[in-house]
Amino acid sequence: MRILLVEDEPLLAAQLRQNLQDAGYAVDHADNGRDAWQMGGVQPYDAAVLDLGLPVQDGLSVLRRWRSEGIATPVLILTARDQWHEKVAGIDAGADDYLTKPFHTEELLARVRALIRRAQGLASPVLHWGAVSLDTRSSRVALDGHPVAMTGHEYKVLAYLMHRPNTVVSRGELTEHIYAQDFDRDSNTIEVFVARLRKKLPPAMIETVRGLGYRLAAP
Amino acid sequence: MAARGPTSLRVRLLGLTALGLTLALLLAWFVLGGLFRDEVMRQFQQGLEQQLDQLTARVEFDPQGRPQVDEARLSDPRWSRPYSGLYWQINRGDQSALLRSRSLWDTTLANAQDHLAHGALHVHRGVGPQGVPVLVLERVVQAPELSGAPWRLLVAADIGQLEAAVTRFNRVLALSLAVLLALLLLAAWAQVALGLAPLRALQRALVALQEGRSQRLEGPAPAEVQALVDGFNTVLERNAQVVQRARQQAGNLAHALKTPLAVLGQAAESSMVASRGALPTAPDAALAQLVLDQVEVARRQVDWHLARTRAADAKGLPGRRVAIAPVVQALLRVMRKVHAARGLELRCAAIDSTLAFAGEEQDLHEMLGNLLDNACKWARAAVSVQARLDNGATAPMLVVTVQDDGPGIAADQRDAVLSRGVRIDESVPGSGLGLAIVSDLVAAYGGAITLDLSPLGGLQVAVRLPVVT
Repeated sequence: MRILLVEDEPLLAAQLRQNLQDAGYAVDHADNGRDAWQMGGVQPYDAAVLDLGLPVQDGLSVLRRWRSEGIATPVLILTARDQWHEKVAGIDAGADDYLTKPFHTEELLARVRALIRRAQGLASPVLHWGAVSLDTRSSRVALDGHPVAMTGHEYKVLAYLMHRPNTVVSRGELTEHIYAQDFDRDSNTIEVFVARLRKKLPPAMIETVRGLGYRLAAP
Repeated sequence: MAARGPTSLRVRLLGLTALGLTLALLLAWFVLGGLFRDEVMRQFQQGLEQQLDQLTARVEFDPQGRPQVDEARLSDPRWSRPYSGLYWQINRGDQSALLRSRSLWDTTLANAQDHLAHGALHVHRGVGPQGVPVLVLERVVQAPELSGAPWRLLVAADIGQLEAAVTRFNRVLALSLAVLLALLLLAAWAQVALGLAPLRALQRALVALQEGRSQRLEGPAPAEVQALVDGFNTVLERNAQVVQRARQQAGNLAHALKTPLAVLGQAAESSMVASRGALPTAPDAALAQLVLDQVEVARRQVDWHLARTRAADAKGLPGRRVAIAPVVQALLRVMRKVHAARGLELRCAAIDSTLAFAGEEQDLHEMLGNLLDNACKWARAAVSVQARLDNGATAPMLVVTVQDDGPGIAADQRDAVLSRGVRIDESVPGSGLGLAIVSDLVAAYGGAITLDLSPLGGLQVAVRLPVVT
């Protein structure tokens, strides 16, 4: 899952970036409204964490522009502005959730997870495929209740597929959603991750749809 | 709404005018009546003098010195008609009525018991035949060729009719003046009403301002009042700006503080989790916990003082009006997003679109937002909100009720949660200030907040707020 983090306070941005990365997300960071708008318009983010008081262009304007351009990325507003009329303005501008500073990392992560899940119409924080369960809260995968150890990238590929149970996901899409912008990408590595996942989990779980990409098989 | 007391301009102006007009017209009545009476009397007396002159000219004395009057040569026929109202009589010394007009018949005129100079004219009132009032003119003549006591010639005329005419005139005059007074009073009333109309308009504008139907004194006013209106509007605007700026600055300060607080909190949190497999040392963990606790304390302080600032000037601005329904709908949209994970059913009974809160929109957002947020945090499955007009015993109030099906608050703890920062259960996120902030704001608006057991099973909070009617 790839997240756009828009925050102009460098220290807080660095902390948030670290926390989000630790939670298994690929994170791109923008520190002003114009960059945020451009990045959000070009890259397929799974969620955005948006500060409101931004240089160049304020967060609400960025959000309104995204929505008017048909960009439906779930947006969590993270701001010090905590008056209710400000929350109303944020939600009415198209935000999907609103969290005020200071905040607990846990709560932020829970809300981001929920946003991504809701965008795919999933209710439970624990995703299941047959005997495989993926807990989005702890980033842990289990097979028949036994934990399965995996690397960050393997987890990201599996989580992305499990969030879209009946969809064919191309290699390019997987690449875009598991790597941050500045990462040196190689779509061949996706095949490597899928191959490793097939060894650790039931091999039939991830189907290859020739010429298109991957899909979770019917359990 | 016009004040009717003695301090009312209208009463004062009308009272003074009525008093002045009445005095002036009474004076006019006396003066005109007097002038008329004097003039009529003067003419009457002049006529009588001519009669006396004529009589004097017609008196002749026979060789014995007795006066003779040739009645045929007196022109006025009334001399000879009995009790006609015009009489003459001639006296000499003690001898009364030596000669008299036929009109006197068998009566005589009483002459004044005083001494008269020769040739002087004496005017007095007396009583004539049949008791009618008469004006008597007397003249003393001395026949040059005769010696002895002088002769007194009297003429008298009935002034009863004259008096009646004067009385009639006075009555008509009084009636006319009374009508004039009535018309003048009517005109004065109209003048006062028209003249004071701008003041009444101003009064209505003030009421509209207080009831939140307008934000400034509206409408053109006459030059004398315009300066006052302009000055008042300027003060209103400046007041609004000052309040706005104070709020903004308090808000900016709060926001400026919260980002560093967030950084501190984040740093402390991340130092507490095992990083790279190494658990933090005990002193580090203690420090991190201290920072986290203090961040929380600082956040509460900022929230509290920000809320106090808002509450303090909540009622400072007149002329505010906020429709309830859109605010509730907007807040429900926020709740549906912010509490989406909880899958709550948010019920809202239809709200009368004309129902409006008399105050700041931000404050209404703040009060209802906190109430709904609290309800959503605690509810198991359902939250319900309704707003209605309550025509209370004293004044109509807006009543907003928010209910949830959560655990509720025990009766003995309900007062405590309305005071500062008390949280019944630390396990549900939130500053614990929510209800206290609402309570402060409601109090600032002169409203009331009551906690109760909800029919849904949880807490029911009802706030009574000023309403724009």
